[in-house]
Amino acid sequence: MDKKEFDIVWKMPVNKIGRFTLLLAVLFSFLPLGYLYIAEGVRLDFGTMLKSWGMIATVFGAMYIVEPLSFYSILGLSGTYMSFLAGNIGNLRLPCAAMALEITETEPGTHEAEVVSTIGIAGSIIVNIIGVTLCAFIGAAVIKVLPQPVVDGLKAFTAPAIFGAMFGQFAIKYPKLAIFGLGIPVAIRLVAPKTPAYIIIMAAVFGTIAIARLFHTAAAKKA
Amino acid sequence: MSPEVAKVANGIGPWLMASFIVMLVVVQAVLYVKLAYKTADKLKMSKEVCSKALQVGMVTAIGPVIAIFIIMVGLMAVIGGPMAWMRLSIIGAAPTELTAATVGAQALGVEFGGADYDLTALGMSWWTMAINGCGWLIMVGLFASQLETLREKVSGNDTRWLGLLTGAATLGAFGYLNSGNVVSGGGNLIAVLTGALMMVGLGFMYEKVPATKKMKEYSLGIAMIFGVFLAVVLS
Repeated sequence: MDKKEFDIVWKMPVNKIGRFTLLLAVLFSFLPLGYLYIAEGVRLDFGTMLKSWGMIATVFGAMYIVEPLSFYSILGLSGTYMSFLAGNIGNLRLPCAAMALEITETEPGTHEAEVVSTIGIAGSIIVNIIGVTLCAFIGAAVIKVLPQPVVDGLKAFTAPAIFGAMFGQFAIKYPKLAIFGLGIPVAIRLVAPKTPAYIIIMAAVFGTIAIARLFHTAAAKKA
Repeated sequence: MSPEVAKVANGIGPWLMASFIVMLVVVQAVLYVKLAYKTADKLKMSKEVCSKALQVGMVTAIGPVIAIFIIMVGLMAVIGGPMAWMRLSIIGAAPTELTAATVGAQALGVEFGGADYDLTALGMSWWTMAINGCGWLIMVGLFASQLETLREKVSGNDTRWLGLLTGAATLGAFGYLNSGNVVSGGGNLIAVLTGALMMVGLGFMYEKVPATKKMKEYSLGIAMIFGVFLAVVLS
């Protein structure tokens, strides 16, 4: 299938679904607030709302732009729409997309890879929604049954273990790049601990991509 | 949360309101799966590959979702069941939502979850979580297609380079996600190292002993369990 046909068959409907669902989600985000207003008569002061918006945007505002930009080349078009609606990108969407590609032995960067990672991410979303919905009903009861060290351990160390595992999986494939992928952000944190997160993530992702480009051009020259 | 506020926050109304977004997430996933299967057919990919991808996505998700489950119980206690359910179904992980809920109360000069945390403060927490999540939703909803154009320009249809670019971006992204835990040391560092070494070790095992390749799709779960276990035992 050539690029033009793939655009029509895949990208156009992907954009349509993505745009529609994400912008509808914006609307749906405020439904609970509307309920508080109508059913409970809660009136919020407009000035305080703006103030709070400003405060939270100071913390996360840069991430609204930096995260889609940094994760895009990993997630692809449909993967980005799904991941930025459903969240849990580093600990859930990226690992599931990567494992789906790995197990089906699909070459990354191809049309087939887009299809496979999309299905992998969708699978993770289904399990995710089942998980949180179960938790809403029986969560508190389940936690009471589990021993405290298990609860504490899973809470504290699941994310670090997953992040480490994903790094390990890709480090086997690109050992030279792995040095820079981890080296750049760790060096920044050690040298300038106050550097904001959005700068560290950009430096890590785009710095490693730049190094990869150098390797790629060098290899192309040799060949 | 006072009993009166908790009663409102856990009422049937908020559950209903929250269900819209949860259903929307499911609908989007189903629409994309349908489109993916249709496109796979046109790309002459086998149905088995698609079904395998779906299965792998689901199996790989189990470990991380158990962790989300446990974290959500804590979140339910402080922001109520319906909002915890809704917020953890969409963008914004638990720490992000907690920050937003706290900031909302702070803007009002009220301590989050404190004695004067009334319905207005609850409303401010809900507002701040919603408007914060919308930052990502709006950016991606409006500009994702431009990012695709950008990627096409950067990659120039060179599949080999695009593969390498994806690998580099992944290593950079997880390098960043790991960097905080590496620098902080202790149990976090142990979890990172164990997770990474397990994946490397398993990778070698699949190469050397092809019969073990069947377990490949459980790799992440195995690495996660060992990482958490050693971090708890050694720290």
